[in-house]
Amino acid sequence: MTATHCPYCALQCGITLENSGSQLVLSGRDFETNGGALCRKGFSATKLLEHPGRLHTPLLRQSDGSFAPITWDRALDLIAEKALSIRSESGADAVAMFGSGSLTNEKAYQLGKFARLALGTSRIDYNGRFCMSSAAAGTNKAFGLDRGMPFPLADLDDAAMILMLGSNVADTMPPFVRHLDTVRERGGLIVVDPRRSATAKLSAEGAGWHLQPTPATDLQLLLGLAHVVLAESLADSDYLAARTTGLDALRASVAAWWPERTAVITGVPAEEIRRTARALAQAALEAKNGGHPVYILTGRGIEQHANGTDTVSAAINLALLLGLPGTLAGGYGTITGQGNGQGGREHGQKCDQLPGYRKIADPEHRAHVAKVWGVDPEIIPGPGIPAVQLLNSLGTATGARMLMIHGANPVVSAPDANQIFAALRRLDFLVVADFFLSETAAEAHLVLPVLQWAEEEGTMTNLEGRILRRRAAVAPPGQAKSELWIFSELARRLQAPGTFSPDAAEVFAELKLASAGGISDYSGVNWEQLDQGAKIYWPCPEGSTISTDPAARNGTPRLFLDRFAHQDGKAQLIAVYAPVTSPAKKISLVTGRLLEHYQSGTQTRRVDELAATSPDVRLEIHPSTALAHQISDGQLVEVSNQRGTTIARAKLSTDMRLDTVFLPFHFPRTSTANLLTDPSVDPFSAMPEFKHAQVSLNPIKGEN
Amino acid sequence: MKHPEHIVIIGFGPVAASLIEGLMPAVTAGACRITVISAEEHLAYNRVLLAELAIGAAAFDHLLMVDEQRLRAAGIQLHLGAQATGVDRARRQVLIRGAESVPYDRLIFATGARAMIPSLNGLNFDPHADTALPEGVFALRTIADAEKLARCLAQGRRILILGGGILGIEAALAIAAAGGQPTLIHHGPAPLGRVVDSDGGKLLTRCLEEAGVQVISGVKATGIAKDDVGFTALVTTTHGQIPGGALLISTGVRARTELAEGCGLAVGRGIKTNEFLCADTEQRIYALGDCAEVAGQPPVGLLAPGWAQASWLAQHLSSPEQSSTPDFSASDVLMLKGQGIEVAAAGDISAGFWDDPQLQATVFADPTAGRYLKVVTRAQVVIGFLCIGLPQTSAELILAYERGTALPQDRSTLLRLDDPAVDPSSALPSDDDQLCRCSGATYGQVAHAVSEGCTTVAQVGDACRAGTGCGGCKSKIEELLAKAPALT
Repeated sequence: MTATHCPYCALQCGITLENSGSQLVLSGRDFETNGGALCRKGFSATKLLEHPGRLHTPLLRQSDGSFAPITWDRALDLIAEKALSIRSESGADAVAMFGSGSLTNEKAYQLGKFARLALGTSRIDYNGRFCMSSAAAGTNKAFGLDRGMPFPLADLDDAAMILMLGSNVADTMPPFVRHLDTVRERGGLIVVDPRRSATAKLSAEGAGWHLQPTPATDLQLLLGLAHVVLAESLADSDYLAARTTGLDALRASVAAWWPERTAVITGVPAEEIRRTARALAQAALEAKNGGHPVYILTGRGIEQHANGTDTVSAAINLALLLGLPGTLAGGYGTITGQGNGQGGREHGQKCDQLPGYRKIADPEHRAHVAKVWGVDPEIIPGPGIPAVQLLNSLGTATGARMLMIHGANPVVSAPDANQIFAALRRLDFLVVADFFLSETAAEAHLVLPVLQWAEEEGTMTNLEGRILRRRAAVAPPGQAKSELWIFSELARRLQAPGTFSPDAAEVFAELKLASAGGISDYSGVNWEQLDQGAKIYWPCPEGSTISTDPAARNGTPRLFLDRFAHQDGKAQLIAVYAPVTSPAKKISLVTGRLLEHYQSGTQTRRVDELAATSPDVRLEIHPSTALAHQISDGQLVEVSNQRGTTIARAKLSTDMRLDTVFLPFHFPRTSTANLLTDPSVDPFSAMPEFKHAQVSLNPIKGEN
Repeated sequence: MKHPEHIVIIGFGPVAASLIEGLMPAVTAGACRITVISAEEHLAYNRVLLAELAIGAAAFDHLLMVDEQRLRAAGIQLHLGAQATGVDRARRQVLIRGAESVPYDRLIFATGARAMIPSLNGLNFDPHADTALPEGVFALRTIADAEKLARCLAQGRRILILGGGILGIEAALAIAAAGGQPTLIHHGPAPLGRVVDSDGGKLLTRCLEEAGVQVISGVKATGIAKDDVGFTALVTTTHGQIPGGALLISTGVRARTELAEGCGLAVGRGIKTNEFLCADTEQRIYALGDCAEVAGQPPVGLLAPGWAQASWLAQHLSSPEQSSTPDFSASDVLMLKGQGIEVAAAGDISAGFWDDPQLQATVFADPTAGRYLKVVTRAQVVIGFLCIGLPQTSAELILAYERGTALPQDRSTLLRLDDPAVDPSSALPSDDDQLCRCSGATYGQVAHAVSEGCTTVAQVGDACRAGTGCGGCKSKIEELLAKAPALT
């Protein structure tokens, strides 16, 4: 029997795997984030391991376009050969890496090291850019540190009130909802979402309330809420004076957002804005006088915008005005999405970062990491370019000619997917490491078969910054290999400086040294204690006392209780301004996830019982809007704009606003929602505008 | 690099603040520098909240719309309390009383408007000056006005509000909310004049009276009565003398144009500009907001058009090559602010059911519940609406009106938005319907588990996984368990 964690989201539900005869039996384990519960994705996760579509050997594209199996030696030689020849012709930045928030900490760490030392390239970024980058930029600005939840998830269990913006946990991470039971009983769950999502419905029947703004107006709504808190003198002035800077600038920035004006832009009635702000302030006051805590949580819905960082700042400002972060009266948190979305953004996959959240442009940070790596700091490349820029420049005069992708499926998950297809096709050589032939792998010159969750050892860091062990329970199929082995073999062929161990425990030992003294310091964490169930949250510096008592929390379960991570110890209120824009004239498209599917669907679309419930893409549309466009339930619809056309079946639903349609982004080819999304990026985080696009709707006649 | 263009802004109200905000990137990039000349001592503040300030519901520092430090750090020159006395267009400079004149490359009039004081006996009104009014008579346009109102309230005076427009109503409601005794006096059949129809106006009047505002309609005022101290009553030909301790005048505003007129710019109801907000032929001088008559449209006295103009002008001045065609229309939405009365109106709702086949009028009235809706559309697009007591409906109507998007063909859909009881899933579930979203277990599967002997939610979970995910369906499982026949 193996105690491990679900392969999917950042909740990292505890599970056990048991080999009973020929069958691998998966069951929920009593772990703090899930309390033994699992969703359908988790329950069916073993289907991924046994799937007939698993890749068993490296595959090389032939001249006729088909793939043929080749040996690992040949595959690795070929990669090394291509990398070396392209590097000598066009420089080291002509070879690029693209990583993932689904990789273990060890793989994420090694991927960054491999890119910098073995390839010598600055061109590395990862799919977390599409996920957590705005939240990371916003929390860094405000607190000087980015850990999704700076408190244990279980703290929510006692909440009096939770304002949840742009997060649909009831679909994306169902066991999370158990942590909302109490706040719902107390009538304090406030959900902000343009859809009446499954999560929004949790606020019905007295459990709280739902604010349903028109898409892409979250920033204005938050400014409106902050306006009421300040105008009605509901802010915690003692806290603001003692623990924050920037109040005057913030005050001026929200003065123009009185509730009626906010209502005109957002479609949320002014009285609802007042009621919400007053309720939050009242609950925060009670929380500080011995009551229950109050939290503000954000998800991708408000973050995946070209103004995502400002919107996160506005959410944090509200929490700071209420005097919550860094106290036991509540706080602000962002709900990380990908399985290792937290750890994946800490250890050097980002174009401007080195392990431990160190900055690649900072000479001291470079020196520390270079010492651990046993190299001269001079040979570590400088900052690269973020994901959208990296991908869209491929094969152009300024872009890379060769790309290695690990654990990502950008032709489905990146914005303006037609451009991504074109970019990948301009490459001289594309290598994709995956366990299935994903849509992106199908574009590759060379595909490498890699390991899945239950076939490998390593660590993951969940949405609360808690470090977890992922354990192997079964042998990998065919010749599938770990990325750690691949990097090790390639590093040797490329005569890379430094060492590249294929063993996860050894890599973790090195990661500890590299992260020591950094923001996300793992140096006091060890596998044995994790295996014994120790709850460890970073930062956990060398020498920290660790208890394996299940009741004990080790490392830093709650951040900022004494001070924030800025030099002056204070949190910064960041004044943000919403541009005056002309109103959207067309239908607004929002994108998101379904309960049955995960990310680009590479895994879940291959699980029969999940695919059976949600086999294809559905366009959710209000019946009145459908009628106006002569669309009937179940009819195929062309959803289009200047970037592309997605074809989807209409699903009529009064959960939609009249001006908004919804597409899930899990589906490939003409079903890809990201054919329509806008590659414009946030100035701080380089997050693209995933969550809002203007579209036209045309029913396909004669198709029903 | 090109010499940074010097933009001089006369006036420092919310519209000027918004223009400066829009120009900040260009200022930071060194493409332009800005000087602001304002007669008021204060930084730009939010006039919309003056009534709240007067009743103590908002603090003064919350009205400020700019962060002085940030502007000064960006190198923006602020001349506050400076009286511009003239503009020398030949030498391109603004003359300032008792100070050096300020040269400009571009000049922007954002001088706003002053309260219009009606011709009443006892008030000596000069349309182009800030009239000295008798004690107890004031408008609500400045911080000083708000302070006067606050004093009258503190003294417990009965306050008459002359004018049935939105600002008058809001002031009256604020006074009532603060425990004062407001009397709203206006000449039309109902407050809000042409934006309400007969039934809507009656309901609005009733709502106001329920909120503590005495409403006197159809009043023809001719003068004021004063004693040694100050105001004592409004003199009317229709209602005799209406006694009161103070008179708050809210009868509209008049553009401040004298400076523009003095330097030879064309002036009508405001400083005349073309559709690009330009007031001269050399494209050096612009006007926007309450002081501007843009392309023949007189100013409406609302903030939204001024902000839309500021946003466009900032874009136009920063990067003229990217400048879009301006569209400042459809920003005449009126929304009664705060105080528990939900009223929103815009456009023209005068059309009746049978007046014009091109126009479709829809009316819903539930006066007992305080709800009223009239929408007029042309080809499904809203050209006017009045919405009382239906907050969600009005929020959606405003969006549809501003965007020019079509309304649902079934107009009653709009009303259902305000019905929290709408739940299409309330029909009785069948066996094939999903009970547990997380596991996908159906009502039939759970019923089967119960009939097989499960007696607890946990046992049902073991049998068919229902309730083992988010736990949200526990109550439904409990219902099915409760319905099961007791074991004997």
